[in-house]
Amino acid sequence: MKCNIQEARFVVLDSELTGLDEKKDSIVSIGAVRMRGGRIELGDSFYRLINPETSLTAASVVIHEIMPSEVSEKPSIETVLAEFLKYCGDAVLVGFCISIDMDFLSRETRRLFGSCISNPAIDIRPLYEWARQKEEQRGSSAALPRQYRLYDVARHFDIQVSSAHNAMVDAYLTAQIFQRLIPILVEAGITSIGDLTKLSDRLKGGDWLFASHNTCSL
Amino acid sequence: MLVEEVKGFLKNVPPFQFLEERSLSFIAEDISMEFYPKGATILRQDGPPSDFLRIIKKGGVKVFITSDDREEVIIDYRSEGDAFGLLSLVGGDKSRANVVAVDDTICYLVGKEKILSLVDSNPLFTEFFLKSFLNKYIDKTYREMHNKSLLYGGGDKLLFTTPVGEVATKDVMIASQDITIREAAEIMSQRRNSSLVLVDQGGVPTGIVTDRDLRDKVVAKGRDVSDSIGRIMSVSLIRAEARDYCFEALLKMIRYNIHHLLVVDEGRMRGIVTNHDLMMLQGTSPISLAREIESQQTIEGLIPASGKINNIIGLLLKDGARASNITRIISEINDRLQRKIIEIVEKKMGTPPVNYCWIIFGSEGRKEQTFKTDQDNALIYADLTSGDEEGEVERYFSEFSILVRDGLVRCGFPVCPANYMASNPQWCQPVKTWKKYFSTWIYTPLPEAVLRSLIFFDFRPLYGDVTLAEEVRESMKSILEGEMVFLGYMANTIIKNTPPVGFFKSFIVEKSGEHKDKLNLKVKGIAPFVDMVRLFALEKGIKETSTSERISALRSRHTILNEYADELEYAFEFIMLLRIQNQFQQIESGQPPDNFINPNNLSNLEKKTIRDAFALISKLQSILVERYKPLIW
Repeated sequence: MKCNIQEARFVVLDSELTGLDEKKDSIVSIGAVRMRGGRIELGDSFYRLINPETSLTAASVVIHEIMPSEVSEKPSIETVLAEFLKYCGDAVLVGFCISIDMDFLSRETRRLFGSCISNPAIDIRPLYEWARQKEEQRGSSAALPRQYRLYDVARHFDIQVSSAHNAMVDAYLTAQIFQRLIPILVEAGITSIGDLTKLSDRLKGGDWLFASHNTCSL
Repeated sequence: MLVEEVKGFLKNVPPFQFLEERSLSFIAEDISMEFYPKGATILRQDGPPSDFLRIIKKGGVKVFITSDDREEVIIDYRSEGDAFGLLSLVGGDKSRANVVAVDDTICYLVGKEKILSLVDSNPLFTEFFLKSFLNKYIDKTYREMHNKSLLYGGGDKLLFTTPVGEVATKDVMIASQDITIREAAEIMSQRRNSSLVLVDQGGVPTGIVTDRDLRDKVVAKGRDVSDSIGRIMSVSLIRAEARDYCFEALLKMIRYNIHHLLVVDEGRMRGIVTNHDLMMLQGTSPISLAREIESQQTIEGLIPASGKINNIIGLLLKDGARASNITRIISEINDRLQRKIIEIVEKKMGTPPVNYCWIIFGSEGRKEQTFKTDQDNALIYADLTSGDEEGEVERYFSEFSILVRDGLVRCGFPVCPANYMASNPQWCQPVKTWKKYFSTWIYTPLPEAVLRSLIFFDFRPLYGDVTLAEEVRESMKSILEGEMVFLGYMANTIIKNTPPVGFFKSFIVEKSGEHKDKLNLKVKGIAPFVDMVRLFALEKGIKETSTSERISALRSRHTILNEYADELEYAFEFIMLLRIQNQFQQIESGQPPDNFINPNNLSNLEKKTIRDAFALISKLQSILVERYKPLIW
């Protein structure tokens, strides 16, 4: 926890789901990329499609463009999750509205392996809100719509957003946003992983969680 | 899949675009990406070396050096597709420059191991970096070498980086060449100017008049001041291009013994530069030393001036001069010093019985002297006619050359241990004997004879009747034509001097004796280049004697040389500078200068550059073996 942000190991992840119902829906794909401090390790990314145990709904197919035929041949969640947990090691997990990903991942981990994921998890969204408010106080930020998504944040940072859309692409976008946030965090005195999780937890209270759930809807 | 995006980017960026798919994948497999907000320092001068080559994906950076007096010297701006950090990556000791993001910047990072393995295995990739990357840096690299010495700080305006146009006086006074001397003098005194450029009716400069002309040609001669100024002006207007570096102007002034140069830009007059301007730029100057030498009437008077040559070298090194420029200036000054000594001796002995030409050869002949080198000189006198008293002529030149030799020794040119001096009767001979020497060496080559004669092929006239030297050279040239056997002998000697074997792993150095563990730069680094370029020059009958002039002259005429000219120049230049640098440090610490360097004192970059030079020697040697196959034993 004392580890310096600029030296720490992160895994930035995104998962795609058949729906948002924790009881019924399941994980379709996991994308992740490693970061060492602010450096994104492009050569060492993780992307797997999973054969979902629940059927793909028409609604999710529209969003992810993952057709049932594409995943039916893919490995089961058990295989992929084992691989993914190994990939994560003890890195700090980072995501955009990560609580949803963590809910599903933890549920499956508990179900399959009988234990939770204990890695610290950092949500980019409230961090971004926090950074943006700091900017607004200095009057240097353009206003954002009340409702916004990952792509809006990416565009705010002038990060190139491709038309393709999957867990890997989104995890990469998230990593690039996090990359931009790190210098701002460091400048604000948030230099260790301890500081970062504390800030992240503090921001999670109140409206943040609501806001997350409200606007992270896929 | 993220890697595919990177590969797509690299495919449009040199030198990565030259890589085949396999190498590209090899690089991309552990590529990473960093973001630097505007103003962030990415690499810090003298900080830890870079472990990555960074390729700018977006944004831009400024590469600069901070000099000792905190002045920023900008080396370059790099933008999308450009790379940085290579030198410190290869050097591995420290970062050579500051690199700061001038905009929000994203870079791809390729690990050190990947780059080093590509450099070793992919010639195209390496060539790109050697040519464009290192060449861009070469002057800065030299400066970095110089800055090692505590003697030198950065900061003073550089003789070698300032274009003449920048120091030239712009508002030059112009007058018609048809005005009278008095009118010209009036204009000059009214405007308090020491020179006046005269133009014809079309405004084209035709000459210049200086205070000195008014003194020497008018007052001293009692000339009528109502004469046209055109009659006393100096018509041979020596020009300097505005974009030439100041040292070029300086060289011209020394060579023609003038104090003003017309500065032109694409044919149009831009101003005038005086030796004073250059001295202001510099503090002390080679030209003031040249003048000091010129004004002496005795050998005694020359001794203090000759002692200052080492200071000049220090000054030039401090200015970040390239080795070839240092040796050119040193040759110019040494030539003047030697000519002055000969002149003084001649005056003392009285008119010589016949015309003669004093020639110098070896490193002096090639204008590659650094610190005082041994004397390598000889004398050619005109063939005697029936009226000449042979004994008297011999006596005169024998005494004459002994006096010159002793004068040279007093001015710091040690005697040649092998006795290649005019004071040795063998090397003080009439034209016909010299012709015979060359024909004997060329027609009946014997290994020792070839070895011995090699340095004579670099001769150039220093003083006296130049036509005598030219006559010998012409004769040598015509004898040489198509004389493959002799050239083959030369090729054989050259290929025998192999670069230190196994150099790519560690330095092979002297195994024993005083210079144990040291590398002989002269024998192993300089001689192979000099000898090879000389052979090429003789093949083509080129009359230039210096290695760099030979390379320039051969570029368009010699296929092998043309292909390797850039590499040759770079490698030769580098080793020469290393040698000068080393010798200067030895002198500064009170040791006699020699040619031995301890490889352990070199930076990784310097070691790598030497290794590259040795690889080039090996390559050229094998080409020579191929070319002279039937004559190689």
